[in-house]
Amino acid sequence: MTAMDRIEAVEADAPPRPSKPVQARTSLLPGLLTAIIVLLCITPFILVLAISFGQKIEGAGWVWSFTLENYRRFFVGANWPETSTTLYLQQLWFSLKYAIVASLLAVVTALPFTYLLTRLSRKAQARWLVFILASLSLSEVFVVMGWDIIFSANSGIPAIFRATGLTDWLKAVGWFDTLREWGLANPRNVKFKTSEFATVLTMSYLVWPYAVILLYPPLSRLDPSLTEAARTMGAGPWTVARTVILPSVRLPLVGSVLLLFVFLLGTYVAVTVFAAPAQHTTAISIYESVRGANLNAPFGAAQAVILLVTAAVFLGLGQTLTRRAEAR
Amino acid sequence: MTLRLLGHAFMALAAVVLALPIVVVSGAALNGGRTMLFPPQDPTLARFHEFFVSESVWTTALLNSVVVALGAAALAVLLAWPLAYLLWKTGSNLSKTLAALGSMPFALPPIVFGVGLGFFWAFLGGLGALWAGIVSHAALFLALPLVTISIGLQSIDRAHLDAAATMGATEGVTFRTIVLPQTIPYTVSGFFFALVLSFNEFIVMFFVSASAYSTVTLQIFNSLRNGYTPTMAVAAIAFIAVSVAVFLAVARWGDLPRLMGADQSRN
Repeated sequence: MTAMDRIEAVEADAPPRPSKPVQARTSLLPGLLTAIIVLLCITPFILVLAISFGQKIEGAGWVWSFTLENYRRFFVGANWPETSTTLYLQQLWFSLKYAIVASLLAVVTALPFTYLLTRLSRKAQARWLVFILASLSLSEVFVVMGWDIIFSANSGIPAIFRATGLTDWLKAVGWFDTLREWGLANPRNVKFKTSEFATVLTMSYLVWPYAVILLYPPLSRLDPSLTEAARTMGAGPWTVARTVILPSVRLPLVGSVLLLFVFLLGTYVAVTVFAAPAQHTTAISIYESVRGANLNAPFGAAQAVILLVTAAVFLGLGQTLTRRAEAR
Repeated sequence: MTLRLLGHAFMALAAVVLALPIVVVSGAALNGGRTMLFPPQDPTLARFHEFFVSESVWTTALLNSVVVALGAAALAVLLAWPLAYLLWKTGSNLSKTLAALGSMPFALPPIVFGVGLGFFWAFLGGLGALWAGIVSHAALFLALPLVTISIGLQSIDRAHLDAAATMGATEGVTFRTIVLPQTIPYTVSGFFFALVLSFNEFIVMFFVSASAYSTVTLQIFNSLRNGYTPTMAVAAIAFIAVSVAVFLAVARWGDLPRLMGADQSRN
């Protein structure tokens, strides 16, 4: 997910390139590479776009067509104008909400951690990075498996609450009712399945290592003499953090939130396991349409296009905001 | 001083939270029964035997996982090398565009790329074939070796290249004697990054396998409706062990902080 950023960052401080003309022998290479990359990396996205205008045939799959039926269904429902539904818009709303909150939470907590990490010795950093990368590569099914146990009523946090008497204490001071209002408790004990809290927390955990990896390069390039200068001039640690460190990593910070947000739009397992069916997301609906019970590939493709457009809108918005902040 | 202590406490807390689900899953793998309890009830190692030896569902899936991950990582490196070299050598707009396009599948939500690949292989006739799964993962993870190899190429000392050119080395000789040896650690790192992520990926695999075969994570994903079982927790332990081993190797033989983009001038 960081590919281009990383390459550009590396390019920026690279020495001037060797400017030898590319030999005729190698001129076949660019053409071949272009063909392979367009075929493998771009065609699938183009197919999704093309099929989103297709038409479902009852009991026989779908055919090529040019209809806006699938998009209309997304915004107002299949039986419009007789009846209308905002079901799919609600799902998109939940996609956005989970992804925004989880990516913000991940970046805000990863920032101080990564800053501290970059101040360690090179060897200690390498050790931490092994740990971070191992948890980064951990499959979503395993992550959700772990949190599923942690949130479960029999052996997770609710069981600990009951065993330690925390539940009774919460009931005694009256906070239990507040938890029930938030949907984090049933009449007997606290519960996290299903809840938005568990969904967002797990999603945030899912991208937290990514946040560290994204913030690592800018923070480790931070010139320590800047913070030292500020300290010698009498600035307290919080002032240094606010006036020196934060402004210099503002752009990567916004960039990380955006990248993680786009990545989280596609979360599937965490949402199916931890979110109530009424609060499911567009990703789940795509799956249901393409391979699940509904079997309506064109509608699934249309939802995928809408998800991508949403991601693009937010990325564009983030870029304009940062550019405006730069100009000021 | 208190601030320093606070910093250490915060890092320790982060480590605990990061490790918590992993510890819990590892414990759950020891359960004697079919339910995931923690701490485990009636602890046994029978689930390990089931996963690695006796249950063919899991052994087949494990073999598929290994084949797909090795194949996809190798293919991704083979594709990434010429692209990274072109980018470094010419810096042309074409190579920059290609690098951006090649990174797109990894940056966008995998479910969208998965749906697209499902259609793609349905047209080309590869749907449900293992090789199509390998090619799909290679496309998805192309970005990783592309980044590591690019970092490796950028780290080559210009003086070496100039010396070679002065002594009359052709592009081929320079490539063999300077470029290739110096970038091998970065190539291997890229291979391992792609390997580990392919090993753990299941959404794209779900759409391109069309239920004809399954990898370990896909098998777990497919049986999610019936809930998790301790045998799946064994799979989790095995996968975490592989990741840790791979990244330890990368850290041992490569420069992990530099690969992750740390500043070179400070140590």
